[in-house]
Amino acid sequence: MFNLIRKDIVMQKKTLAILALALCVYLALGVSSIWVGLIFSIVMITNTFSLDEKSNVHMLLNSLPYTRKQIVSSKYVVAVLFTLLVALALFVGNLVFHGEITLWKHLLIMMILVFIAASFILPFSYQYKSQYLFVASIVAFGAYMLLVNTLIPNLNDLIREKVYIILTTTTPSLYVGMVVLVGCLYGFSWIVSIRIYEKKVF
Amino acid sequence: MEPVVELNNVSKSFKGFTLKDFSLTVRKGFVHGFIGGNGVGKSTTIKLIMNLLEPDRGEVSVFGLSYKDHEKEIKQRIGFVYDEFVFYEHLSLAEMKDIVKRAYKTWDDDLFYEYVNTFQLPLKKPMKTFSKGMMMKASLTIALSHHAELIIMDEPTSGLDPIFRRELLEVLRSLMEDGGKTIFFSTHITTDLDSIADYITFIHNGEHIFTKDLFEMNEDYALVKGELELLDEETEQEFIGIQRNSFGFVALTDHKERVEDVFGDTVLIEEPSLEDIMFYTKKGAADYVQLNS
Repeated sequence: MFNLIRKDIVMQKKTLAILALALCVYLALGVSSIWVGLIFSIVMITNTFSLDEKSNVHMLLNSLPYTRKQIVSSKYVVAVLFTLLVALALFVGNLVFHGEITLWKHLLIMMILVFIAASFILPFSYQYKSQYLFVASIVAFGAYMLLVNTLIPNLNDLIREKVYIILTTTTPSLYVGMVVLVGCLYGFSWIVSIRIYEKKVF
Repeated sequence: MEPVVELNNVSKSFKGFTLKDFSLTVRKGFVHGFIGGNGVGKSTTIKLIMNLLEPDRGEVSVFGLSYKDHEKEIKQRIGFVYDEFVFYEHLSLAEMKDIVKRAYKTWDDDLFYEYVNTFQLPLKKPMKTFSKGMMMKASLTIALSHHAELIIMDEPTSGLDPIFRRELLEVLRSLMEDGGKTIFFSTHITTDLDSIADYITFIHNGEHIFTKDLFEMNEDYALVKGELELLDEETEQEFIGIQRNSFGFVALTDHKERVEDVFGDTVLIEEPSLEDIMFYTKKGAADYVQLNS
């Protein structure tokens, strides 16, 4: 499985370099770290995924001495590694550009949001194809707008308020709880993706 | 003779296509050709052997092992070539090699470069710029560089020019000289098999029609040409498939000696090509369906 992880990292070399540059620009402009980190991590995860979808690469991977479980698991490990890498880049970037230490809470929230998103993105991409993610995100956005306009008009304010509470709280148990919960969600998503991939026809 | 691949009563259904109770044995140390028209189940069978598909019913074993418990072990020993492009388009052959080699315990870089030289393949060009022939050579180079015991190829010669087809057959022949290796390949270009195959399996509409050794086929099969008056309900029983025209009939039999006894000098008996065997077997099956439906 180590080879599959290595492959995903090596193949993203160029993308990583371009993204690192873009990250510097965003940080220099003072865009929110959480937001930048979330977008960059998700772009890297979906990009890794879509590379494998081009030209029957899944047929190649499944003909090599790997199990389907390993192929799926490597993607989940790579997603964690990329997110950690982005968090590290944010930390270093903020230190260099603004001379400030990024709050660990901000990095943690960023990573939690990435893992929540990845928990849905990965099984969806295994079931369908990552190219439909764009369509799915438009549908999800539409559903969100419908919710805001009909049932919960102050949803935006509620979310903002909750995020503020989380960021300002000093109770560590809240963070531990969130990490455990998101860990469980990620683990569950991992198992679901393996199930989906094991039934896949090439 | 030790079986390398065994399919026992395997069935697999898709929308509009079914592989029915398919059984097949590929023996160690031989070249086994897999023939049939387009869309009759050749690729499905190969995908079942490669565990890219799971059978609805029946068993698949490779090297006497099942995929359920020995997937990695089996795939370590197989080299594969597909008709489709399965590599990362933007990578060069050298970069692709770096990814694939790490998957195999027995990868041999020297052997890889030997094939690269033989086939005159560019190492640094993105693989998406490769022609169909170059792509096939690259696939073959990757498939042969880890000392695989079983080489599985899906239509390796389709879309290739005759010169490269010969080159490919030459490579396969020299591969077999080392002994211990087994080649299983599907094709609809039957002339490729005449010179290299030991065994032939014919598949039609998802059904196993026959598996025979090439020598046995030359002994048993014959193409019979004669006048229409010679055909009646009884004599027609001697043939697998018959084609009639205003000049007479051409038919295929799989018991040459008997036909020689029955018809004597009244007919012309010729050696059929594999294509003839495929054509008349298919025709016979179609006529049978017509008669009985």
